Amino acid sequence: MTSFVLRRVGLGLIVLWLVSVVTFFLVHLAPGGPSAAVNFEATAEQREALLEQFGLNDPVLVRYGKWLAGVVRGDLGVSYNQGLPVGLLLRQRLPNTLTLGLAALVTATVLGILLGTVAAIHRNGWVDHAVSTISTLGMSIPGFWLGIVAIILFAVELRWLPASGIVSSGSGGALLDRLRHLVLPAGVLAFTLMPNVVRVTRSALLEVNRADYVRTARGKGLSPNRVLFKHAFKNALVPVLAVLGLVTTALFSGSVVIESVFGWPGLGRLAIEAANGRDYPVILGATLLAGAIVVVVNLAVDMLYAVVDPRIRHD
Amino acid sequence: MIDAAPLVDRAAVSAERRARRARLWRRVRRQPLGLAALLVLVLLALAVTLGPLLYPQQPNRTDARNILKAPSAEHVLGTDELGRDVLARILAGGRVSLSVGLLAMVVGLTIGTVAGGLAGYFRGRVEVVIMRLVDVFMAIPNFFLILVVVTAFGNHPVMVIVTVGIGFWAQMARVVHAEFVKVRGYEFVEAARALGATHPRTMLKHVLPQVAPQAIVLASLGVGWAILTEAGLSYLGLGIQPPLASWGNMLQNAQSYLWLKPVLAIYPGLFIAVTVLAFNLLGNALRDVFDPRG
Repeated sequence: MTSFVLRRVGLGLIVLWLVSVVTFFLVHLAPGGPSAAVNFEATAEQREALLEQFGLNDPVLVRYGKWLAGVVRGDLGVSYNQGLPVGLLLRQRLPNTLTLGLAALVTATVLGILLGTVAAIHRNGWVDHAVSTISTLGMSIPGFWLGIVAIILFAVELRWLPASGIVSSGSGGALLDRLRHLVLPAGVLAFTLMPNVVRVTRSALLEVNRADYVRTARGKGLSPNRVLFKHAFKNALVPVLAVLGLVTTALFSGSVVIESVFGWPGLGRLAIEAANGRDYPVILGATLLAGAIVVVVNLAVDMLYAVVDPRIRHD
Repeated sequence: MIDAAPLVDRAAVSAERRARRARLWRRVRRQPLGLAALLVLVLLALAVTLGPLLYPQQPNRTDARNILKAPSAEHVLGTDELGRDVLARILAGGRVSLSVGLLAMVVGLTIGTVAGGLAGYFRGRVEVVIMRLVDVFMAIPNFFLILVVVTAFGNHPVMVIVTVGIGFWAQMARVVHAEFVKVRGYEFVEAARALGATHPRTMLKHVLPQVAPQAIVLASLGVGWAILTEAGLSYLGLGIQPPLASWGNMLQNAQSYLWLKPVLAIYPGLFIAVTVLAFNLLGNALRDVFDPRG
């Protein structure tokens, strides 16, 4: 198990390093890269001074070396537009994205497993078809549009929930107020993430249902519910666990757009603001952080996977 | 190549081929949802190509005296905040969104198939390098990757297509890779090699056709994904730029008028949802047709 863990951690670090290489060089070798971003209304001397200040006169390999050396020490550089350390900006925004992401992830997982199970039990019945319709819709409806529709319905028409932001001004940050702000963005995000979980749960349960030990359990005369929850469910959850890594990646992608719709001051919105202002250090930092979280989550999933299913360790 | 003709009964071959086609058609007919989706897509394609020719309103003409008008005989779906005709913009925007989606899928599928194919066919070091790169691209959440590329390379429509394609080549490569590894092991591939077929010929003539059904399913789902991504990107102001309409950027301004005219935000999204739904249903139906066991 130790060598398995070490190998996975090593692989994760390599992937993360390659993420930094790919994103850094993509940005710095592009015709519209950082050097081109520093030119608004500046005289030649001012421009030169700015290039020098941001270290953009160095050859690109030197720039990468310096940047990476900083990253390793936790220094992600300084925002071009705000003049603040990128690390500070990320630290301000990350908790908001984690709150939103966690709420959406838990909702999507719980509802997804529930619906997937119900669908598998009533295979090919109308419940199954209804669940499959819901998850196909979740895959097809653009999250940001669903968000807009939700705002129209729940904020504009019914006035039940706030349309945007993370907390009302003057509420003093009361928990209930924060929760009310969380409902719409987390619900919409969860709806778009759920289909993966539903699909995997359903097919895993049907797969397990054909297994010999389940047939044996049924042959012993156990009730269908007992067979399902005592025997089939545990094994069916293994593939569901595996899909959670994928869902986390999708979560970050989805949060970029959803945060913009709902004015949620998270990592995704920071990245959008940075993209609009061509604030390269911030985009690189946000992307690297998102990549790091994805790598860590996948690592955790791999570990859990190996704990739950010992066969994996001996690959 | 050895001429195999004398060994094969041509009549039997063509009968077998006919029977296979008949079986395929029977499976196709069992997919009413998929056929309906195909019909919707054909109608949409006709609407966005012929529609602008038949509908008299210009998509980009602003009219300060007629902003945010309700539907009328003149403006079938009303006008937007600049007095532009909403239906004309939907039709023009659909042309852009569908083309971007299709072309981005072609970009992603091409890169993914070449990369995944090479990795799965040659294995060894080639496979290690390519699949590690796939891991890297899978680790960067799509939208962040797309933001990086769009910021660095700009948002000319061609760049938007390439960017969205780059956003999902890795997923394609993973599937194609697995298929190539599987098919590579079959005896007929070995036989082709033994008969002297070159590597490119073996890949293109013998392995690729076996992988094609999977690739077609991926392509259909991929178009849906690409349309969603382009829409999101354009909604954020980073994709297709106004005045050129796309379904995504039509929603960009609509949000400012939610309280005044919410319906502006409904139409473009409805078209995106129906189109993507149709591509997804078509993809699922194709999967069932090609793999009736699944």
